[in-house]
Amino acid sequence: MGMENVKEIVLRAINKVLEKKGKQPLSELDEKLSLRNDLGFDSLDLAELTVRIEDETGIDIFEHGIIDKISEVLERVKISG
Amino acid sequence: MDKLFLIDLGRNLTKTYSEFFRDLENKTFLHPIIRVSNPYEVFLLITRSLLAGVTVDLLDSDLSDSEINRLGITDKDLSEQLELERIHIPDFETFKGYVLLGSKTWKIGLYTSGTTGRPKKVYHSFSSLTRNVKVGPKYTDNIWAFAYNPTHVAGVQVFFQALMNQNSIVFVFDLEKQKIPFVLENYKVTNISATPTFYRTILPLFEKPVETVYRVTLGGEKFDPGLEGALRKVFPNAKIVNIYASTEAGTLLSTDGEFFSIPEGKEGYFKIAEDGELLVHKEYLGESTDIVLDGEWYHTGDIVEFTEDGRIRFVGRKNEMINVGGYKVNPNEVEEEIKKIDGVVDAYVYARKNQLTGNILVAEVVLRDKENNKQEMEKIIYEKLRRSLQNWKIPRIIKFVDEIKVTRTGKKVRQ
Repeated sequence: MGMENVKEIVLRAINKVLEKKGKQPLSELDEKLSLRNDLGFDSLDLAELTVRIEDETGIDIFEHGIIDKISEVLERVKISG
Repeated sequence: MDKLFLIDLGRNLTKTYSEFFRDLENKTFLHPIIRVSNPYEVFLLITRSLLAGVTVDLLDSDLSDSEINRLGITDKDLSEQLELERIHIPDFETFKGYVLLGSKTWKIGLYTSGTTGRPKKVYHSFSSLTRNVKVGPKYTDNIWAFAYNPTHVAGVQVFFQALMNQNSIVFVFDLEKQKIPFVLENYKVTNISATPTFYRTILPLFEKPVETVYRVTLGGEKFDPGLEGALRKVFPNAKIVNIYASTEAGTLLSTDGEFFSIPEGKEGYFKIAEDGELLVHKEYLGESTDIVLDGEWYHTGDIVEFTEDGRIRFVGRKNEMINVGGYKVNPNEVEEEIKKIDGVVDAYVYARKNQLTGNILVAEVVLRDKENNKQEMEKIIYEKLRRSLQNWKIPRIIKFVDEIKVTRTGKKVRQ
């Protein structure tokens, strides 16, 4: 999986969750962002995000521990992919 | 010294025990159906009903009108109110005297997802709710992080554990998650009890360990060995305890690992059916007209297995209930709500596993008009469901399909 592709998938999944929360979608991925602090994701939002990413990539981003930064999410998808 | 009773930073509210006692004295009327959203009000009304020995029902404040209707509760029921006898609480000793008196006749009705689609009501007495409450000098200085929904059985139990020891409660259940590490540190929290989902949501936010916490309790979901390791890093001085409880029975078993032992002298209350389902004797349960008993036994729906040394381990669920982050959801109830939506022909709700909340709900939906704009339809479905179902019952993923696969008997296939 190319890095561009990974970013697109993650961005799409994040925006889908944001859209349902009634929040503005991100125009691009800022790797420093925290899913909880900056995007305000609660437990169900995080669960939905992992499932959406897993559906597209086959990778469970929380399989080896629960993470929080977008950079960590990209790392997990990239390493496993 | 006037001890703090509750600190609720999210609502900017702090109450001492003296203030709490004054508020109890000033409550001269009570609705037998408690439906309030402010946690302090919930605690106040539960306690006031207990002191008066008056039976109350406790509702989630976020229940929709249609959910309330399904419980069989009318507007008239909700507006009913009782006048209470005056009380005077100069100190904690007097307070405990009132508790002792009131607890003889007090009961509280809690709701849980029923297997039939309609939520069922379970009554608990003070003694059944406080079966595992420990009171004594050892516990006087405990400070609790309160991380359960205050209207659910686990919340009520933690509340009584704190209350009967005159402990301070720091309300973190709906506090912004990024504030929690600071709050635990700042208020020198000693005890925290929560679902595994709650811990998984907050743990990555801790930058350093919290030394004051000496007891961490998990309940409501399957044991997660990976989580235990992560908890030890953040709470290095804590004993980690895993609880098996249900709305019907309250706390049943506790352990410091994955394997539960039935306490000595209580063996007679537990039985394992041939198919591995854990059965609990009716005397161990709350009281409910909605609970279906098999003779004297209640079927928990939890499948367990024996280990070689006679302990037990939970391996799964027998019935259709789906555990979403500690909340049990009946998929049939959710399907019914989706099918009420104009343009929907059929719906099928199932569990999708994940590491954070155990499960989330996925709905397969069949539309009458296949040419309908799917995105628009998804929006409409979410709008309707937000008004008719509590948040955790709403499917997080909706898939539009041409047909729902059914078995030959016509039953939907649950994965």
